[in-house]
Formats: sequence, C-alpha cells, structure tokens
Amino acid sequence: MAINIHTSHRLLLALSAGTYLILVYLCAVWPAMVEQTAMEALPRPDHGELVARGREVYKSFNCVTCHTQQIRGDARRAYAVDDRVVVPVLEADARFGREVATRAEEYAWQDPVFMGTQRIGPDLSSTGRRLPESQWHYWHLYDPKSVSPGSVMPPHRFLFTSKEPSGDTSAYHEEVIVIAGLGVQGDRLWATPDAVALVEYILSLNREFLEVEGLGR
Amino acid sequence: MKIPVGIPVFVAAAGTDPRFAKMVSRWLVCAGLWLLVASVVGLLEAVRLIDVEILADHAFLTFGRLRPVHTMTMLFGWASMALIGLAFYVVAKSTLLPMHAPLSRTELFLANLALALTNVGIAVGAVAMCMGDVNAGREYREWPWYAMAPVFAAVGICGVLFYRMVARRAVAGIYISCWFVMSACFWIAIVVLMGYQTIWKAGIPDRIIDGFYIHNAVGMWFTPLAVGMTYYALPKLLNKPIYSYALGVLGFFTHMVFYTVIGTHHYIFTPLPMALQTTAVICSVAMIVPVWASTGNFLMTMKGERLAISHSYSLPFLFVGVVGYGLASLQGTAESLRFVQEILHFTHYTVGHAHFAMYVFVTFLIWGCIYGLVPRMTGREPPILVVAVHFWLALGGIAVYVIGLSVGGHLQGNAWVAGEPGMESVRVVAPYMVWRAVGGLLMFVAHIFFFVALWRMRPGAFTMAYSGGKS
Ligand code: HEC
Ligand code: HEM
Ligand code: HEM
Repeated sequence: MAINIHTSHRLLLALSAGTYLILVYLCAVWPAMVEQTAMEALPRPDHGELVARGREVYKSFNCVTCHTQQIRGDARRAYAVDDRVVVPVLEADARFGREVATRAEEYAWQDPVFMGTQRIGPDLSSTGRRLPESQWHYWHLYDPKSVSPGSVMPPHRFLFTSKEPSGDTSAYHEEVIVIAGLGVQGDRLWATPDAVALVEYILSLNREFLEVEGLGR
Repeated sequence: MKIPVGIPVFVAAAGTDPRFAKMVSRWLVCAGLWLLVASVVGLLEAVRLIDVEILADHAFLTFGRLRPVHTMTMLFGWASMALIGLAFYVVAKSTLLPMHAPLSRTELFLANLALALTNVGIAVGAVAMCMGDVNAGREYREWPWYAMAPVFAAVGICGVLFYRMVARRAVAGIYISCWFVMSACFWIAIVVLMGYQTIWKAGIPDRIIDGFYIHNAVGMWFTPLAVGMTYYALPKLLNKPIYSYALGVLGFFTHMVFYTVIGTHHYIFTPLPMALQTTAVICSVAMIVPVWASTGNFLMTMKGERLAISHSYSLPFLFVGVVGYGLASLQGTAESLRFVQEILHFTHYTVGHAHFAMYVFVTFLIWGCIYGLVPRMTGREPPILVVAVHFWLALGGIAVYVIGLSVGGHLQGNAWVAGEPGMESVRVVAPYMVWRAVGGLLMFVAHIFFFVALWRMRPGAFTMAYSGGKS
C-alpha cells in the first residue's frame, strides 16, 4: 500500500503543520511585517513621563475590558481632502464627536494597544477633549455614580487617600475638591500619584491629533 | 442498572491500567475544580455589573483584573485540561493500544508532570493578574509570560506523548480523532508563540497578531479537540460507525484552511489592512463548510437513534453540543458580516456568542464525552439523578444567559446607532445583566452537580480489582 495520510502519522502531521505554517505566514506574519515597516517610518510619540505612568496604571487595572479607544470608519466610503484620505465615521460610532475614524498612525508605537473589543463604557479616544477637567475625573474615579448616576463603572476609591500626604511623594499628590454625593468620610481628599497619572493619561487621549491634521473636530 | 448505550461499562473498563485511569481522571478532576473556581469569579463579575459596590474596595479584585481570571481559567483551566484528559483516553483507544499499559512508566510520569505544570501556570496567572501584572488588551493571553510558559511546556509534552501513541498504534489507519488531537497540539504551540512573541508588539502589527491569536486559540485548539473527541465518543456510544468518514476528512482540511485566516473579523472597520478584513469575512462565511461537514456528520450518525439518546445520560449532552456547534458557528458567520458588525460589535451580544460557543458547544461536548467515556475507563458510573439535574440546570441556565445577552446586545447596539448619549445604552441593558446573573447562577449550581458526578466516577476499588493483576 502506498504511503498516504491515512496510514502515515509523519505525513499527516507534516501536512497539517506545513499548511498551517504557510497560512500563518500569509495571514499574520507577512501583514504584520508590512505594517511594522510602515510604523517604523513614524516618529515615536512622547507625551511625557506622567502620561506614560498613567498608561501603565490604565494597563494594570485592565480598563480596556470596558473601554475601547477606536472610532470605526467605513474605508469603502473614504474620500480625499488635500491629498489625505479621510475615512468617515460609522453611524454607530458618531456619538463620540469625531468626524474622522481612528487611523493607523494614532496607534503607532503604542504597546499595548488599547483598541479594545467591548464597550461596557464609552469610547475614550476623545475623552480628553470632551471632558477636559481633571477634577471631574477624580470625582468619577472615586465614585462614578456621583457624576454619572446609574453607572456600572467600578469605583476606584483605593486610588485616593484622606490622609494629608507628607514626605517625598507629597508633591505628586493632588487635592480633590470634595463635592456632595462623593461620600467622603473626612472633609478633604487627595488623589494618589497613580490617580494623578491615570487622569493625566486620559486627558492626553487624542487631544491634539486631529487639530494638527486640520481635519475637523 | 443504568448502562450507557452499547457494551456494559465494566466490561469495557476491565483490564485498564489503573495508573493510566488515575492520570486521566486527575486531569478531569482538576479541570472540574477550575470550572468551579472560574464560575465563582464569573458569577461575581456578572453580579457586579448589577451592583458595582460588591467587593469594590480591593484593588486586586477589581472588575478589570478579575475578568481575565475568569476567561483564562475557563479556557485553559477548564476546557483545555478537560480536553487533554479526554484526549489521552481517546487516542489510546482509537489507536488500539493495549489498555493494560497504554503508556510507559516514563510517559505516565510526563503526563502527570504536564498536569502539574498546567495547574501551576493557571494559579500563577490568576494571582499575577490580580496583582496588576496583566497583559491588558490582549485577550486570552492576559497572563504574563511566566504563567503561560509552564502551560506551553505542558501542551508540548502532551503533544509529544500523543504523537508517540499514534506512532505505535496497533492498526494501520489513523482515526480522524487523532488527526485533530495531533494537529491541534502543533497549532496551539504556534498560536501561543505568536501571541507572546516580542517582534510585533506595538501599533497595528500588534492588532494583526491579536485578531489572529483570538480566533486561532478558539478555532485551532478548543474546536478541533472538541470535534475530535466527538468523532470517537459518538459512534462508540451509539455502537455504530460514523455516518461518513470522508466528510470528516473534508471537514478537517477545510477547517484548517478557513479557520486560520478569519482572525481579522474582530477588527472590521479598523485601520487594519482591508485585504485581511475582506479575507476574514469571506472565509468566515466559508466556515459553513467545515462546521456543517462535522455537524451534519454527527447529526446523520444520530439519526434514528432517538430512543438511545433519550435513554442515555451522556448522549443528550453530545446532542446538545453538536447542535450547539452548528448554531454557534452560524451565529459567528452572521456576526462577521459588515452590516451586523456595525451594530453588534462591542455589545454584550458578543459575550453571548462567546458563551454560546464555549458552553453549548465545547462544554456540553466535554460533558458528554466525560459521562460517556470515563465510566468505560474506571468502571464507575455517576448517580443518574445528579447527571439529570446537571443537564437541565446547565441547559436552562445557558439559555437564560444567552437569550438575555442577545436581546440586551441588540438594544445596546440600536441605542448607539440612534446616537443616544453614553448612559442611555448602559441603562437599556441593565435588566439583561440580571438575566445573565440568574442564568449564571443556574450554571454554577449545575457545575456543582457535575463535580459530584465526576467525583463518583473516579477510579476506585473496581479499577484496581479488574485491572488484570496490576496496581
Ligand atoms: C465594568 C466596566 C468598567 C471598567 C472596568 C471601567 N469603566 Fe470607565 N466607564 C464604564 C461605564 C459604564 C462608563 C459610563 C458611565 C460613567 O460615566 O460612569 C464609564 C465611563 C468612564 C469615563 C467617562 C468617559 C466619557 O467620555 O464619558 C472615563 C474617563 C472612564 N470611564 C475611565 C475609566 C478608567 C480609567 C478605568 C480603569 C481604571 C475604567 N474606566 C474602568 C465602565 C467601566
Ligand atoms: C464559523 C465559526 C465562527 C465564526 C465565523 C465566528 C465569528 C466570530 C466573530 C465575528 C466574533 C467577533 C464578534 C464581535 O466582537 O463583534 C466572534 C467572537 C468570539 N467567538 Fe466566534 N465565531 C465562530 C465560532 C466560534 C467558536 C466555535 C468559538 C468557541 C470555541 C468561538 C468563540 C468566540 C469568542 C470567545 C469570541 C469573543 C472574542 C472577543 O470578545 O474578543 N467562536 N466570533
Ligand atoms: C457560571 C457560569 C458563568 C458566568 C456567570 C460567566 C460570566 C461571565 C462574565 C460576567 C463575563 C464578562 C462579560 C463582560 O465583560 O461583559 C464573561 C466573559 C467570558 N466568559 Fe464567562 N461565565 C460563565 C461561564 C463560562 C464558561 C463555562 C466559559 C468557557 C468555557 C466562559 C468563557 C468566557 C469567555 C471566553 C468570556 C469573554 C467573552 C468576550 O470577551 O466576549 N464563561 N463570563
């Protein structure tokens, strides 16, 4: 009997492994290499140390499970403005106030990328522009319900302290204006360095990008 | 006496190497324990989307950190370990290895070592993520690398063992179940390597890998293993050959080609290369071929066996699992279409699909195979009432869960298209979060019953006595 895949385990595994490797190359490795080359032509954005630290906090609390940072667009309806391709935003994503879908450049060098796959909460890619007040974000982080009644975002009270900060790190704390409904025990509250950095990161989200491009809001 | 369809279990179990039976059983019992742990975590998460204040003051128990604990433990602790355990038995049987010594002493040791490594990896991963070392934004590989490493090593060991078992088979032909098992071990190794490589870790390249990883993990590991187990268990329990072997072979090859390339359907309407997006959508539709080659094959094998199914305690699970495979995949195909993506992407509907697929398909098939095959290995049957309660609670629970999230997901998506402000879509799904928690509670109780049944099937005095003198 001739050797065939039904009787030769070597041939069988070689076939399924070989075909798979070729396909993996075609659908993942090769496109990743092409996009990597494109990305390497772009400058590494530098938002400063505080934002970088805030990004780490965002990562460690895995906020991306509930928040996306992508505004989807329909590339088939793209049009040109001054030699630039503009991808219009999908109707379903229009409520975040952007007129242009997120582009590859906006993610350049981000590691990890917080594009996200689920929206239990809103998209954050333009929050820095919509909600530019750091105090609002402190209240919201401390108790989301205090500013968004009915919110299912978890409170992050452990990122705050009611003890007056002293010593080396005191400079990195920030005092929170205590408002009614926050449920603070004492009458003063400070955001820890982690909270300060986190809010700085959120405020940095795509504040400038589109203005630089001169492409609408 | 309650006997699965076909030959009585104690005849089948007689002569089985008790050390082998214990090894397989250990994989299954550990899987069952992780199922319970991950269910508690899932339930906690479900309840928290109703009342955020539950355990809210501990940074290490925040929603974002516990969610991957639930998913990773379910996927790699429950589904993966249960399937590996079953695969040892199925490969040994379908290669006609002598059951009094299917594995050598060294091989048995390695199998047990792999089991230990997997448990360590899962535990380390869960603790690390709670401490904040989480691979955020990289779904189903949120574990830091040092948690994935032992699991990767364990799968490697098992892959080699499966290959060796197939290599010394006592028949000329290699049964289709072994095709799936051997290949899946190779595929998942590549998938994990791709997921943890550090070359394409930023920007769009990272997302290309991400789409690839998500769907190859579910499609080239859980799916082939679950389908492979069913190709053995179903004909065995019905005591008749599979309807069409050729259809199985067709399913295998089309599965391999189409499933590998559909990952980018998680990134439709993004800046990822258009060619990848279009390929993903087209091949998601083409997935109908392998899915229905297998589903149709199983259904045709079950045709005319209604009596056998209604009298067995394992076949109903297999029946639900097979139908679940066909339907969940059709649902997936629909979800990948652009006009559906536009509305349902990012909604709870996706979570419904994920549970439909991982539960009604993978988990029910695992249960069917465990109830059908484990008694044939240990000679001990589960209490039939416990199995019945398990079946109905699980089926009822997942129905409430999936229907609730599907309706809620639609409302959520439509609120977004209507441009309602952020909070409106949160309010609109609130009632369905209660559905999910209720369904989840029923499922959790079902899992307790399952564990009791599993415990009663573990190898005991019988396996020792009938093991042909060895112990
Ligand atoms: C359980 C899911 C969940 C998690 C986890 C979560 N959020 Fe939220 N988030 C929400 C929901 C729901 C809203 C909308 C209601 C509201 O404003 O509170 C929201 C709103 C927000 C907003 C206001 C955005 C806007 O444009 O209105 C910001 C900023 C935010 N979250 C930041 C974060 C950060 C930072 C983290 C991680 C520390 C985080 N969220 C974790 C669910 C979540
Ligand atoms: C033909 C088969 C299938 C197709 C075409 C398909 C398609 C899809 C699509 C398009 C999504 C993304 C939905 C979205 O985010 O909008 C998705 C998500 C998902 N699917 Fe499937 N699916 C299939 C089968 C399966 C099977 C068999 C499983 C499990 C074994 C599975 C598990 C999942 C999981 C876990 C997710 C969630 C991923 C996430 O949230 O990022 N799918 N599927
Ligand atoms: C006790 C029953 C279960 C409950 C209560 C439960 C609950 C949950 C919850 C609350 C989430 C988070 C969803 C969100 O972020 O909105 C989730 C996600 C998930 N669960 Fe479960 N779950 C259960 C069983 C399972 C089982 C048995 C599996 C797999 C075998 C599983 C696999 C997953 C996956 C893959 C996700 C991610 C879905 C996605 O990203 O779209 N779950 N589950």
